[in-house]
Formats: sequence, structure tokens, C-alpha cells
Amino acid sequence: MTIRPLAILAVSVGVILAAVPVLAHHSFAAEYDRNKPVTITGAVTKVEWINPHARFHMDVKDDGGKTVNWEVELGSPAGLIRRGWTRNSLKIGESVTVAGFLAKDGSSLVNSTTVTLSDGRRVFAGSSSETGTNP
Amino acid sequence: MKPFLTAAGLVAVLAGVSPLLSAQWQLPPGAGVPKTPDGKPNLNAPVPRTADGKPDLSGVWANPWATAGRGGRGSPPAPVPAGGIPEATFGNVGAGFKDGLPLQPWAAELVKQRMADNSKDNPDAHCLPMGFMQFHEHPQFRKILQAPGVIVIIYEANYGLRQIFMDGRSVPKDPEPWWYGYSLGKWDGDTLVVQTVGFTDDIWLDINGNPLTSAGKVTERFRRLNYGTLEIEITVDDPKAYSRPWTVKVSQRIAPDTELNEFICEDRDAPHYVGAKK
Repeated sequence: MTIRPLAILAVSVGVILAAVPVLAHHSFAAEYDRNKPVTITGAVTKVEWINPHARFHMDVKDDGGKTVNWEVELGSPAGLIRRGWTRNSLKIGESVTVAGFLAKDGSSLVNSTTVTLSDGRRVFAGSSSETGTNP
Repeated sequence: MKPFLTAAGLVAVLAGVSPLLSAQWQLPPGAGVPKTPDGKPNLNAPVPRTADGKPDLSGVWANPWATAGRGGRGSPPAPVPAGGIPEATFGNVGAGFKDGLPLQPWAAELVKQRMADNSKDNPDAHCLPMGFMQFHEHPQFRKILQAPGVIVIIYEANYGLRQIFMDGRSVPKDPEPWWYGYSLGKWDGDTLVVQTVGFTDDIWLDINGNPLTSAGKVTERFRRLNYGTLEIEITVDDPKAYSRPWTVKVSQRIAPDTELNEFICEDRDAPHYVGAKK
């Protein structure tokens, strides 16, 4: 799956932005670029249920067909648990589509806004790029 | 956590815009929680008291403004009555002052630089302790434990920990520079008055980077207005960083249906931070 800008999604993200508090421990702008929204699809390779940001890794094929392992930042487990998510909400090997924003330093790192399973259901809603307290 | 959004409310809001897989994580209210006739926690019930008749501040507390997703940099503080003490926010403790905080020139320059740098050097962003105002304002919960001789506050965020000594001791002559300072408390009627000195330098009071230095003296006045409401007035007297003392207010609400999570901060982000000069 390729990586592409997602202007349309940014609009729907805005709806969530207004409603969800965030527990980002760092300034969003210190690490991510609000002007570089992306969407990526691939299989989950690893889940890390750690504070201050849970994160998972996924294999994504780039335009040349090469597989690149991406890191996806979520909200804190402390916050996600209160919304009903657990460390088992995402399975290794599961195909997911992530919409979010690219890291400023060019690394294969995304701050997720939505994580969608192949059947359309979303997990980890309310993750870290939905800024409220720490833009 | 009312009238701000509760965890259940957040789920409901999200459910309106996307199909979700989750169920709410919620604990039943513990024993001793006063209830309304319909079985809900009675936030307007009288203030609980300890055996010596003093208000009991114990409980898990939320900052409603922050928990509702407000209080970030650039967002307004919670409204206050005309002439009232302004509310601080997580992003900017001085948000409620028309002309901002009375920063000394060097401190104003420092805050300007910190903001230009995307607050990348905020200790919190490196898994170091937050300044005490960040803890007061944080959307995550804090738990007050009131025992004879000492009051302890555990902050879920970064697992912060404060001790407020109530046993009549004096401040050490040369206190160690601590992130949380050295806090002594006493009762003034039903108000808990806590005075803290002995801070380390370079404490950030908010995301903007308003500073607190080792010259700082902080007075906090805790008042539990009823079962559900805690108000804290904070006066910061730090002549090194500010030209005059200033006072802000923080309002908190009891959260009887949750508990603190463990929060060990593992820093993975700092290598990616980008400041103004990159």
C-alpha cells in the first residue's frame, strides 16, 4: 500500500479533534508536522503497551514495492484503558489502515489520528494527534 | 467529572462519529461515596471530615477543564466571575491574565525561546517530573491520601509524588533542590495552607515554559467546598523570575468511579524532537 496525503480525512479528523482530550506528554509540533497528513495500510508486527505513548509497528509497502516497517504513536495506555482499549485490542498480523501525521525528522513514524481495521471498525480512537492539551 | 465530559461521555461522543470496538473502563464507586436517590455519587454532599474534624481531602481528583480536552496552549482558561482569581491552564498558567504573567525580562525571553522551540525541552517531554502547576492542571487524575501528620498526593501523570508535612516541622535550613520542593501544611479553619520552598531551577510551570526557580516560594490554599469539589488557590512568589507575586486558581472534581493507573514514562520521542533552529 502506498503513502499519500489525505486532505479529505483531515476534515473528518477535525470533528474528533474538537471532542477528545489528549494526554500527549510532548508538544505535537516538536515531533510531528500538521501539514503532512498521511494514510498507510499494512500488517501489524508489534504492539508496545507503554507510557506515555502506546505504539505499534506495521509493515507497509512503499511505491517501489519495498516493505518498510513503520512506527505508529498512540495515546497513553493510561488514557486508552479508560476508554476501554487494552493491550490486546490490536492483533499481530492484523491488517490496519492508519491515518495521521508524519514525523518532522523524516523517520518512518506516524502520530495516529485513526486506526481502522479491514472491516471498517476503529480501534484506539482518541489517540495522540487529536490535540487538546498539548498542541 | 461533571459537567465536563466523563470517560463515558467521551465514548459516546466518539461513538457518534465512528464505529468503536471498546467498552468503558470504569470502576464502581467505592464504599462511603454519598449517593443521590437515583444511586449516583452525590457531588453536593457535605465535606467528609477526619476524626479530628478537619476536612478530608482524600480521593481521586480530576481537573475538569483539562479532562474535557481544554487548556492547551492558546486555549482560554475556565471562566471565572468578574474580579475573581483567574484559572490557570495546562498550556499557560497565565492565560487568565489580560497582560500575561509579570515576567522578568530574562524570563520573558526564555519563554519566547521555549515556545519557538515547540517546547521540546519541557522536562515532561523527556519523562522528567512536571512542574507542580502542570500536575495541578493535567488531564490525568491525581490521588490525595490524608493521614495524621502527612498528606500525600500521587499524580498519575509521570507518577509524580508529593509529600506535605503536617507535623509542625520547620523547613530545613538548606533544603535540597527538589522538583516538587519541600512542602509544609497547616490548617487555617477549613482551608489547608501549604507552603513550599526548595525547588530546583528550571522548572516549567506549563507547556509554554513559564519558569519557576530555586528562589520561588509557593503558597497553595486547598478548600474542599463539598463532596465533589476542590478548589486550589496558588500564589507564586519568585522574585528571580517575576516582578511581583501572582495568584491563580485551579478547580478539581472528585472522580469516584476510577483509579490511578501505573504510569512509568518510557521516553521514545525525544530523539525526534525538532526545535526552532532545524
